[in-house]
Amino acid sequence: MAIVTKEKTAERPAPISETSVFGWMRKNLFSSAFNTLLTLFTLYIVYLTLSGVFTWGIVDATFIADNRRECYDNSLTGACWAGVIAWFDNIFYGRYPRDEIWRINFGLFLLVLWMAPLWMAKVRGKVLIGATVVGLYPFLAGYLFAGGDKGLFMQVMISAAIVAFAINMGNMLTGLFKNVGLNTFLINLAGQSKASDKTRRNVLLGMFGIAFVAVYIWQMGWTAERVGWTRWGGLFLTLVISGIGIASSLPGGILLALGRRSKLPVVRILSTGFIEVFRSVPLITVLFMATTMFPLFMPEGFVLNKLVQVIIAVVLFNACYMAEIVRAGLQAIPKGQSEGAHTIGLGYWGTMGLIVMPQALKHMIPNIVGNIIGLLKDTTLVSIIGLFDLLGMLRSISKDVPWLGLHKEPLIFGAILFFIICFSMSKYSRHLEVKLSAGEKH
Amino acid sequence: MTDSSGPRLKPKEKFNFFQDQRVRSVFYQLLTAGIVGYLGWYLISTTAHNLEVRGMNTGFGFINVSAGFDPDFKLVEYQPGIGTYGDIFLIGALNTLLISFLAIIVSTFLGFFIGVLRLSNNWLVAKVALAYVEIFRNVPLLIQIVFWYIGVFSLLPVVKKSIDLSFGAERVILNNRGLYMATPVPGDLFWLTLVTLAATIIGVWIFRRRAKKSQEKSGTQTKTLLPSLAAIILLPLAVFFITGMPLEWNIPELKGFNFVGGTSVPPSFLALLVSLSIYHAAHIAESVRAGILSVDKGQSEAALSIGLKSSRVMSMVVIPQAMPAIVPPLISNWMNTVKNSSLAIAIGYSDIVSLFMQTALNQAGYAVEMVGMTMAFYMFISLTISFFLNIYNKRVQLVER
Repeated sequence: MAIVTKEKTAERPAPISETSVFGWMRKNLFSSAFNTLLTLFTLYIVYLTLSGVFTWGIVDATFIADNRRECYDNSLTGACWAGVIAWFDNIFYGRYPRDEIWRINFGLFLLVLWMAPLWMAKVRGKVLIGATVVGLYPFLAGYLFAGGDKGLFMQVMISAAIVAFAINMGNMLTGLFKNVGLNTFLINLAGQSKASDKTRRNVLLGMFGIAFVAVYIWQMGWTAERVGWTRWGGLFLTLVISGIGIASSLPGGILLALGRRSKLPVVRILSTGFIEVFRSVPLITVLFMATTMFPLFMPEGFVLNKLVQVIIAVVLFNACYMAEIVRAGLQAIPKGQSEGAHTIGLGYWGTMGLIVMPQALKHMIPNIVGNIIGLLKDTTLVSIIGLFDLLGMLRSISKDVPWLGLHKEPLIFGAILFFIICFSMSKYSRHLEVKLSAGEKH
Repeated sequence: MTDSSGPRLKPKEKFNFFQDQRVRSVFYQLLTAGIVGYLGWYLISTTAHNLEVRGMNTGFGFINVSAGFDPDFKLVEYQPGIGTYGDIFLIGALNTLLISFLAIIVSTFLGFFIGVLRLSNNWLVAKVALAYVEIFRNVPLLIQIVFWYIGVFSLLPVVKKSIDLSFGAERVILNNRGLYMATPVPGDLFWLTLVTLAATIIGVWIFRRRAKKSQEKSGTQTKTLLPSLAAIILLPLAVFFITGMPLEWNIPELKGFNFVGGTSVPPSFLALLVSLSIYHAAHIAESVRAGILSVDKGQSEAALSIGLKSSRVMSMVVIPQAMPAIVPPLISNWMNTVKNSSLAIAIGYSDIVSLFMQTALNQAGYAVEMVGMTMAFYMFISLTISFFLNIYNKRVQLVER
C-alpha cells in the first residue's frame, strides 16, 4: 500500500520558535549550555561597565560648579563636567579672541556650503568644485582666520576664492532648480545660446572677469583684525592642521606614487627612498625634526613659525602613507586599462588622470578615509611639541587654578569627541564603498 | 595588396629631438636629479652655515662624552656622570624595544582572541567585541596613553598602602610608584634544573615529530599534548627539588619611602604597555577577522561534515588558511607598535625619543646627529621587520597552488 497525495501539501508558516524574538534569542544567545553561560557572563560584565559609567558620568556627576571644590562638595564619586563646560570655548576655539570667534564659525560654514553641492546629484561640475575647495578655499579661510594686512597675492587669491564661491553657489542653485549648469544658464540669460563655442566662452570669461574686478574693488575696502597663530587652538587648530594635511597629502601622495611606479630610474629611486624613510619613522620624530632642524635649514633671518613647521611635517609624513595607498590602488588596475588608453592616443598624463587614477582612487576610498582618520588622530601629537590643539587644551584644564588636577573628565570628553568624528567618518566611508561598488555591478 | 611583392619600405623615422622618448626620459631624470641635488646641496650648505654662525658643535664626538642625567628606567648598568651619550642611546633603544616587544606579544594574543570573538555565534559576545574594536580604534592613542597614565596608574595607592598582587606573598607589589616584582636569584646547582628543562624540551620535540610521522604513515593518533606538558613541567621540577631548591628570591622590601630590591617598572611603563596593547589589539582583531572571513565558507563546512569539533575547525582548518591574509597586516601592526611606542614621551617613559631625541638633545645640542641617529634606529627596526615579512610572503606564495 502506498500513500500518495496528488496535491501539493499546503505551505505551513515557519515554526514560532524560528521567527519570534524568542526564537532569535534561542538561536543567537542560548543555543547551548555553554552559550547560555557565556551570554549571562557577558551580560553581567556589560551591566557592571555600563552602570559604573552611568553613575560616575551622569547620576553622580556635577554639571554646574565654579571650581573643583564645589564639585567635590556636590559628590565625591561622580565626574566633574563643570570644568569641561567652563572651558568649552577654549576647547573648541583655543585662545582666539572671543569677539572674533564668528570668523571661525563663518569660515567653517563657508566650507560646508562650498562642499554641499558635492552631495547633490543634480549639480554638475563636481570635479571643479572639489578643485576649488582644495585650491582656493584655504586662502579665503586662511585670511579669515589670521587676518592682518592683505598682500597683493592674498588680495588676488581672496577675490578669486570669493568669485569661485559665488559661481559655485549659483551653479548649485541653477542645478537644483533649472537642472542646468551655471554656464548654460548664463549663456541663455545673455541670449547667446546659438553663438559659437568661442563667443560663448568669451562671454562667460567676460562675466567672470567683471565679477572678479568688482569683488577685488570691494575687498579692498575692509580688513580683518590680525589674530596671531599662537592664539589658535583647540578643536579649531586640530581641524586646521588636519585639513591642510588632508588637502595636500592626497595630491602629494599621488605624485609620489606615480614617481615610485615611474619607468625613469632616477625618479623611481628618489620617490621610493623618500616614501620609505618617512614611513619607517614615527611621526613624533618627524615633528621633532621639523622643530629642531627646520630652523637650521632656513637662510638667516628667515624664520618659520612653529605652526608652519608642524604642518609641513604632517603633510610630508602623510603624503608618504597616502602614496602607498595610491600605489596599491594603481597595482589593482589591470594593465589593459592603460594599454587601451594608449591605443586611443592618450599620453601619460591623460592615461593616468582620466583612466587609471579615477579607478584606482575609487578602489581605495576606504583606505584613503582610514588614512584621513589616522591623520586626524595623529594630529593630537602636536600637543607634545607645545601647540595647544584639542588635546593640549584639554590637558591645560588641569593647570587652570579653579580646576587644578582635573585630568580624567577632559580626556574622556576629548575621547568622545574624537570617537564621534572618526566613527562617523569610517561609517560613511563604508557606506560610500557599498554605494560605489553597487554601481559597478550594473 | 600592391606593395606586398616588393621589399617593404620602412617609413623613415624622423629623429625629432624634442619628441624622442629616450631624450625626454634622460631630460626628465636629469631635471629631477638636478632639482633634488640642488635642494640637498642648498639645505646642507645653509645648515652648515647656520651651525657655524650659532657656534653649535657638530660631529659624533658627543657619543663618548658623559651625560649628566639619570634615566629612571634602564636595563643596563649606568651611572650619571660616568655613562656617556652613547649609553643613553643604548638605554633608550633597549627601553623602546622592551616595551614594543611586550606590547606586541600582549596585543597579538588579545587581538586574536577578540578577532575570533567578533565572529562568535553568540550575538552578545560578537557585539561586545565590536564595541571594543570601534571604541579603541577611533580614539587617538595619545589620549588613551595619557588617560591610562594620569587617570589610572597615577591614582594607585601610595607606597604605604601598596596593593599586593601575589595574595599576601609580597612578591608582586603595585603602587603609584610602579610595579615591584621579586626576582629569582639562581643558586649553585640551579643550572641542573635548566639543563633538564632544555633536555626535556628537545626530547618532547623528537617525541612529537615521531608521533606525527607515525600518524601520517599508519593513521593512528597518539596523544602527545598531555604527556609532553607533563614531562616539561614535572621533570625539571623533580630535579629542582632533588637539588634542594637552589633558588632564592630578591624580594622588594619597604625601606624608608620606597621599595628596594627586586625589579621594578615605573607607572609610565605600565600605562604605555596597557594602552599600546589595547589599541593595537583592536587593530589586530580587525585584520584577524578579515583574514578569517577571507577563507571560503565551504572549508569550515567540509571540516564540520567530516566530524571535526567547531573549536578544531577553527584551529586546524580555518586559521592556518587565513594566516597568509592575516600575517602582512599583523606585521605592519607590529611595526606600528614599535613606532607608536615613541608616544612614551608624553608620559615620560624613557624611550629612545624622550631620552635621546629630547633630553640629550636639549643638553648637548647636536640636533642633526641626534635626530639622524634616532631616525636611523627606527629605520633599522622597520627594515629588519619588513625583511622577515618578505621572507614569510615568499614562503607562503610557494605553498600556494
